[in-house]
Amino acid sequence: MNDLQWAPIGPPQPIPPPLPPTRVDFTGDRSGFSKLVTKGAMLELVTFGFYRFWLVTDIRRHLWSNTLVDGDAAEYTGRGKELLIGFLIALAILVPIYLAYFLIGIEFERWQGFASTPLFISFYAFGQFAIFRARRYRLTRTIWRGVRFWMDGSGWAYSLRAMLWGLLVFLTLGLALPWREASLERYKMRHTHFGDLRGDFEGDGWQFFKRGWWLWLLSPVALVIFPLAPFFYAQFKAREWRWWLDGIRIGGVSLSSNLPTNAFYGLYWKVIGWWLLLSTIFAAYLGGATMLTVQLSGLSAEQVLGPDNASKSIPMLVMMVIGYFAVALAINIIMRIYLQRDLWVKVLETIEVHNIAATADVRGSGELASALGEGFADGLDVAGF
Amino acid sequence: MSAEAVAQSAKPTIFFDGVSSRRRQVTLTHGDALEIAEPGEAEGPRTIARWPYADIRRADSPAGILRLAATSAPPLARLEIRDASLAADLVARCIRLDEHQTTRRGVAKIVGWSMAAAVSIVCVVLFGVPLAADRLAPLVPKPVERRIGDAAEVQVKTIFGRSVCEDAAGKAAFTKLVNRLRDAAGLDDDSMTAGVLPTSVPNAFALPGGKVFVMQGLLDKAHSPDELAGILAHELGHLKHHDNMRGLIYNGGTSFLIGLLFGDVTGSSAVIFASRSVVEASYSREAETGADTFAIEIMHALGRSPKPAAELMFRITGKEGGSGFTILASHPLTEDRLARMTKEDRPASGPPLLTDKEWQSLKGICGSGKI
Repeated sequence: MNDLQWAPIGPPQPIPPPLPPTRVDFTGDRSGFSKLVTKGAMLELVTFGFYRFWLVTDIRRHLWSNTLVDGDAAEYTGRGKELLIGFLIALAILVPIYLAYFLIGIEFERWQGFASTPLFISFYAFGQFAIFRARRYRLTRTIWRGVRFWMDGSGWAYSLRAMLWGLLVFLTLGLALPWREASLERYKMRHTHFGDLRGDFEGDGWQFFKRGWWLWLLSPVALVIFPLAPFFYAQFKAREWRWWLDGIRIGGVSLSSNLPTNAFYGLYWKVIGWWLLLSTIFAAYLGGATMLTVQLSGLSAEQVLGPDNASKSIPMLVMMVIGYFAVALAINIIMRIYLQRDLWVKVLETIEVHNIAATADVRGSGELASALGEGFADGLDVAGF
Repeated sequence: MSAEAVAQSAKPTIFFDGVSSRRRQVTLTHGDALEIAEPGEAEGPRTIARWPYADIRRADSPAGILRLAATSAPPLARLEIRDASLAADLVARCIRLDEHQTTRRGVAKIVGWSMAAAVSIVCVVLFGVPLAADRLAPLVPKPVERRIGDAAEVQVKTIFGRSVCEDAAGKAAFTKLVNRLRDAAGLDDDSMTAGVLPTSVPNAFALPGGKVFVMQGLLDKAHSPDELAGILAHELGHLKHHDNMRGLIYNGGTSFLIGLLFGDVTGSSAVIFASRSVVEASYSREAETGADTFAIEIMHALGRSPKPAAELMFRITGKEGGSGFTILASHPLTEDRLARMTKEDRPASGPPLLTDKEWQSLKGICGSGKI
């Protein structure tokens, strides 16, 4: 939109004039994305999940390269192979740790029953470390205007903060959550850089608390009247997103968002609707498959499902497995379309970028981080943004 | 701004040098290599980069923009062409433009190798791990086994009460019964301990390192020494076959390998849980059948029938078949075990394992808690 204003910048101008905020645009084609994740999910199925590294990469490449800030699209330069290697290295490190965990656990149990339970906490710490390092990987693969984002800071220092705050959240039954998020986000953003610009996070826990405390108070209601839970969760997520975006600073650039608090209702209910529909179809399919097997083999339903005549229950088992995978595949596609792509677009269109002029001449710096963090996150089954 | 640059600015070509985020509007000239020039104020266009056509690669971009990188330029240098005809012209000149992209062949390679990996993992789960468990379990040093058993014992006692039942006469009877079975089973003298736990759950189990526990609930439901002896013989079978260590190695191995396959080493997600349950249940059923075989042999060696034990089990569980999806069951169905032991039923040829008096004191081993 303002190519002309920024085209040939000669020597840096002394004081850039104040400009109206810039918007963030998304130009990605929804059907293209659907095709991408459908094909990816099928490949994931035939490769027993190994394709996930390439699928995740393709999804990020699509989302990043179609996100335009001030008219220039971002770019994701990570590759599936890096994730695969990161995963393999993480395995090599995690396996001895699991063995050690097992042996130490036995010694603890000998001393006192269930004394090894706290050891599980060490895996939580490891998970937090993985979240931090995975973020570093993604960030160093994010390019805008020929300059990469990067991160310093220590994954273990972050993990320690996350643990201590986690304990406080646990002790206060969740009330301390806003302060935990503010503190962790501050740590992450203050160690985030775009070239030579340093990030910061100006959101504070109190603001977030004021926006969401009544949801905390009402959460027991959602446990009783569970159809309310998606509404509550959507409210919470929308408030969290908006608070988070409002707090982000990079150099002199700041973000703001006017994301309405009901923004995610539709998305969540669409996912739930699809899920119900698919469960119904799966149940009907199972019933049909059982009837078919009973009819064709002339056995009773019990015999078909029994353990001892394994040869007779194999056709039933195969049909169940096929049905299960088909449903898992469909749910996978739906989650990715609604909860990744649509949510991404919904959030992006509410963002305003202030003082983008501060990024007119940023010097590139920062090294690429390894994908080891992503590998740990994959191996430990944790996710973070 | 030069007049030329303004003329081009409807569809500008933008260059980022990969060192700074400066957005430079440039003009392109075709020669031996692609010449990227920035219009200067006084001295005219100034060439800022030369990209050999063979080095130029396509980078991700939104529709309508051709974004290029070059292998010989700084890694983040980018050239963005918005004019369609200019882009088409350039694409035609760059022969190795898409060389680095994942091709159909690349995807086929990923699929092929993944399938190979999956097949080998499945083969290892089905054949390798059971074999390793069978071979390794007897090799686990006794002290290690006992340490694991100690840990499990502490857990068990935390759940089912602090200590075993200690009534003197009952204990003597229990020791006599266990010793007779142990001698018949040929287990090492020092490797075995047994006790009765004061809990109403009707069950019995063996722990690594030769620990056998009978729960008071089972004792209360037993009508004769033979019933209890058969169950104990079954548990001794587990000890004799090292089933605990085999199970540990087997379960650890399969959950790790299946987790590896689906990308979650801790094995917490649903697919892993389901596939593990099926695989492990079948292995456990095999071990239970083996322990039953052993119990039958012991009871025959002692000149007693194995049938009463199965009757006791049947009394506790009732008929199991038809109650859901039994492919997940860890034990063979009780009715099938009863049928098998009935087939092995023989009239008693040996002396009773306990006298009536001993049997009565054994039933009272936990003191007042009995029926």
